[in-house]
Amino acid sequence: MNRDRPVPRMSVLLSALVALTLAIVPLPDVIDRLRPDFLVLVVYYWSIEAPSAGGLTLAFAAGLAIDVVRGVVLGEHALALTLTAAWAMHLRLRIRVFTVAKQALTIFGLLAIYQFILFWVDGATGYPVTDWSRWLGPFIGAAIWPLVVATLRRLHER
Amino acid sequence: MVAFRSHDTAGRSSGLLLRSVLYALLALGLIVLDKRYDQLSKIRRALSVVVYPLELGVASPFRGWAWLRRSVTTRDTLRAENARLRAQLLDERFRSQRYAALEAENAELRGLRTSTAGAEAHPLVADIMDVDVDAFRERVLVDKGAADGVRVGQAVLDAHGVYGQVESVGEHTGDVLMLSDATSAIPVMINRTGLRTIAVGTGDLGHLKLPYLPTTADVVKGDLLVTSGLGGTYPEGYPVGTVVSVKIDTVRSLADVEARTAANLASSRELLIVRSKPRPPAPALPAARAPRPKPAAPAKSR
Repeated sequence: MNRDRPVPRMSVLLSALVALTLAIVPLPDVIDRLRPDFLVLVVYYWSIEAPSAGGLTLAFAAGLAIDVVRGVVLGEHALALTLTAAWAMHLRLRIRVFTVAKQALTIFGLLAIYQFILFWVDGATGYPVTDWSRWLGPFIGAAIWPLVVATLRRLHER
Repeated sequence: MVAFRSHDTAGRSSGLLLRSVLYALLALGLIVLDKRYDQLSKIRRALSVVVYPLELGVASPFRGWAWLRRSVTTRDTLRAENARLRAQLLDERFRSQRYAALEAENAELRGLRTSTAGAEAHPLVADIMDVDVDAFRERVLVDKGAADGVRVGQAVLDAHGVYGQVESVGEHTGDVLMLSDATSAIPVMINRTGLRTIAVGTGDLGHLKLPYLPTTADVVKGDLLVTSGLGGTYPEGYPVGTVVSVKIDTVRSLADVEARTAANLASSRELLIVRSKPRPPAPALPAARAPRPKPAAPAKSR
């Protein structure tokens, strides 16, 4: 488990596309606020398991895609995702040997930083979103992390 | 930090740091360029083309389902709908009979003042795409974009009134910011009295507030708000909403007035984008340029 395994780029790209699709499928308003940031979780997963397959370029591109889809200022999600994914990459060897619960806790921390950067950029660009439910994101992301791992693991461990 | 760092990761880590700093700077540069200098509309358009197939893919099943439902409606339903629409058309025709005459009279009364009527000459019908844009902002994605002549800042109406404005455009899609978004503001006029003020969104779908009315202002529940045309973003005279509550606390200087939007923000499917003539560059927040509301009446002694 100590080496970065080569991963077919196709499956990285495919999982990112599926995650982006899940991010825009219409849901009722109440559930919409509880929607996990699938694409962010997928990027963290690949950053931890196979940084060579996508790496920071994947994180940046995915962030930019979220910016375009949401119609917010370009670079906002790209910034938050690049910084947190870089940190995940830096800690990847440790995160890999964590138990799932501990991994989820780490993901919680990363998502909290991610959300905070977004919050900061939102405020700095003049569109503050102070709704309390935005801070649910890290909790939900951490909660479904085991599911994300279980799903994505099938893509590269056969 | 050091415990797990093998040779191979140490080498990669410094590279990682460098690359992450580079990417972060790139992202910050994008933010500044987009926000301060408004230079990225071409890039946004190009990127939107990349995600368009995805958005189309998500929206198509819903569109297909709606089409399927339409195509299997029974003859009776269609007849009933037809009869209802005919009655409605008759009613609208009846109301609009005197419209042309009134418009001419109005133009005459205004004399030489340039009319905004030209702005409404070419509305564009756009469908809302079944795509969730952002859970925390009141926006929708429509299926018309820069390629169809949609530009940032154009006003958007639905069948009942003002819906919002175009906030950003892609090649084939447009982002519409609803009136009730917390960052939205629209210059309005109370139709009954001509009192001008600004209606701002609350972040709560369909709800507006009028935060700049003094407690002495003449506003009552049920007053119709129409666009005042100030600020240049929204054409003049379209219904914006109805006042639903007026709370006056004499201790404070401003009244607490709430309104409901005339447009059906929750369920409208078809929108009209008003393609007006290009205007002088608008400031970042168009409504902010509108004048402060003038006091309605001289304050009476209490």
